[in-house]
Amino acid sequence: MKIPSRSILIIYALGLLLIVLFLLDIRLGSLSITFADMLTHINGKASLSDQQVLILTKFRLPRIATALMAGAALPVCGLQMQTLFRNPLAGPYVLGISSGASFGAAIVVLGAGATGIVATWSLAIAAWIGAGTVMLLLLFVSFRIKDVMTILILGIMFSSGLAAIISIMQYFSQASALKSFVIWSMGSLGNVTGAQLTIMAWAILPLLMLTLVYSKVLNGLMLGEEYAISMGVRIQRTRLVIFATTSIMAGTITAFCGPIGFIGIAVPHMARFLLNRSDHRILIPASMLTGMVVMVFSDIVSRLPGTEQILPINAVTSLIGIPVVIWLVVMNRKAQSL
Amino acid sequence: MTHKQAKHIISLDRFTIGHHKENALLSKLNLTVNRGEMVALIGRNGAGKSTLLKSMIGLLAPLDGMCLLEGLPFADYTLPQRARRVSFVSSQITQLPALSVGELVGLGRMPYTGWMGRMSPEDRSLIKQALDVVQMASFAERKLDCLSDGERQRAMIARAFAQDTPLMVLDEPTAFLDIPNTYELIRLLSRFRDGGRSIVYSTHDLETAMQCADKMWVIHEGKILEGAPEDLGMSGLFNELFSTSGISFNELAGRFLFSGKQRGRVYLEGEEGKPLIWTRNTLKRLGFRLEKGADQLIKIESSNDGCSWVLQKDSGSFRFESLYTLARFLIQE
Repeated sequence: MKIPSRSILIIYALGLLLIVLFLLDIRLGSLSITFADMLTHINGKASLSDQQVLILTKFRLPRIATALMAGAALPVCGLQMQTLFRNPLAGPYVLGISSGASFGAAIVVLGAGATGIVATWSLAIAAWIGAGTVMLLLLFVSFRIKDVMTILILGIMFSSGLAAIISIMQYFSQASALKSFVIWSMGSLGNVTGAQLTIMAWAILPLLMLTLVYSKVLNGLMLGEEYAISMGVRIQRTRLVIFATTSIMAGTITAFCGPIGFIGIAVPHMARFLLNRSDHRILIPASMLTGMVVMVFSDIVSRLPGTEQILPINAVTSLIGIPVVIWLVVMNRKAQSL
Repeated sequence: MTHKQAKHIISLDRFTIGHHKENALLSKLNLTVNRGEMVALIGRNGAGKSTLLKSMIGLLAPLDGMCLLEGLPFADYTLPQRARRVSFVSSQITQLPALSVGELVGLGRMPYTGWMGRMSPEDRSLIKQALDVVQMASFAERKLDCLSDGERQRAMIARAFAQDTPLMVLDEPTAFLDIPNTYELIRLLSRFRDGGRSIVYSTHDLETAMQCADKMWVIHEGKILEGAPEDLGMSGLFNELFSTSGISFNELAGRFLFSGKQRGRVYLEGEEGKPLIWTRNTLKRLGFRLEKGADQLIKIESSNDGCSWVLQKDSGSFRFESLYTLARFLIQE
């Protein structure tokens, strides 16, 4: 089908909004740095002080890059889950994948008390293993139980169970470890620097490309697995790709930024609502773009412009995402459809 | 024998299906589907209709035996190769995607398009043809959740049509449809058959199946009986099939009758024509046997204004202005 021009216009508008928010986000902070300053600096005319360069390269740009990657990846995870489980309320959070990653992180931070570069890698690996384990459990269950509601309830149970275990671990852990875990669990985009950012980029960018390649296959899944198979979709391979990309992307982001709630579940619905389309070939890029806009916006809000305070990013995204989910459940009768 | 020359599009060889090895639903089936043939699969709920159809097209694994598709074992085909030979319409979709009818039908071209799903002019013209054939060209932009049951089912069938396969398999396509929509749908399938495709569909609706299927597969007591509808009718199978359900199959009329309460004998008098036929229907429905010399006599009196019925019996004579009032009186006796 031809992509209607309305969709193109909305994509352009989102792109423009993203650029504006990006420039705003660079500028905001204790030291004002305009984009024009940055450009002249790049051109070789040193218009920025060393301090400004440091802030830009060590703090602001990595933070925004993190926001962009999280904003692009989490909605894609949610969208894939929603299509695979054919349930509008599916998402990495609801299905317990983020909790799996948190559990992995909790073992590293609370259990082993790891710090430094060892912690960077072990945190990422533990989060992948945690997210992947929950994903494998869900995959195993979904082979036996076809009812999507049951799978969703199981996901919520996994997630509550892991939260209970994490709270026991917190109860028995050292004060310093507990503090760093609590801060981690509030979410932050600002702690991802240097090596971490590289790991994150390597984990996420190739997988985002892969999900674009799989967008036609996801369309085939919309009618359910039987139809998908009858239309030539290799279902086992597709499930594996969806589960692997989701657990690696959601696991990585959770490991480095802490749990970021509601982006995964809410943003795909925003994109669907904006475009009024379900074709994944347009919905996946649109969800990435919408997610990036929402994350950069959340980052700006969390920095409370004009103050020195920073809000936890998890709280901001939840406050943005929850109304969307409530609207979805209460107001929109099409919540039944994807 | 190469697959191009294979006479049967599907042939089942000692095909055994079910969910557990120890407990097969249907065993050692030897059945065939010819090219350009419409096969109706009949059976009671839980007899294994869906399981058979899904096992036949590779959605479920058979317990034993083989299914040959165009002369080659089903397992020899890759999934995309199968998708170009067999299309499927499921009995229901629990969750409707927010697709438009046109997009839904476009999904049928998936086995033919590249990895990004870009469509060729050929693909587009087939989609248009599919929409035309189910008379939904004007619905192309309409979302699926704004359709009636009949329209939605037609859209699903248009998707299967666009998949352009020599065999279409449909699991209870008429399950949620009213009588006009059922006939409309079966007529559509007959047209696909006449266009050279093979159709296999399951149904409860023996009467429409008898009117259009080339062949019937009837599941009865763990076996499947195969034959033209009339062969099976002559064999007396249908009476056996429904013996416990209070329905009897009138082998002479080729239709079903409820075998309800029996109410004795009555004699009917009147001129040949519509009133006589319909009065006879009413009396049969109520369970009366029509016999000469019965102690109740019903006379039909026709006039220019219409007709009336006079019931004569030992206790007197009664006049009725409609079949309904006559029937009420007879029942309350």
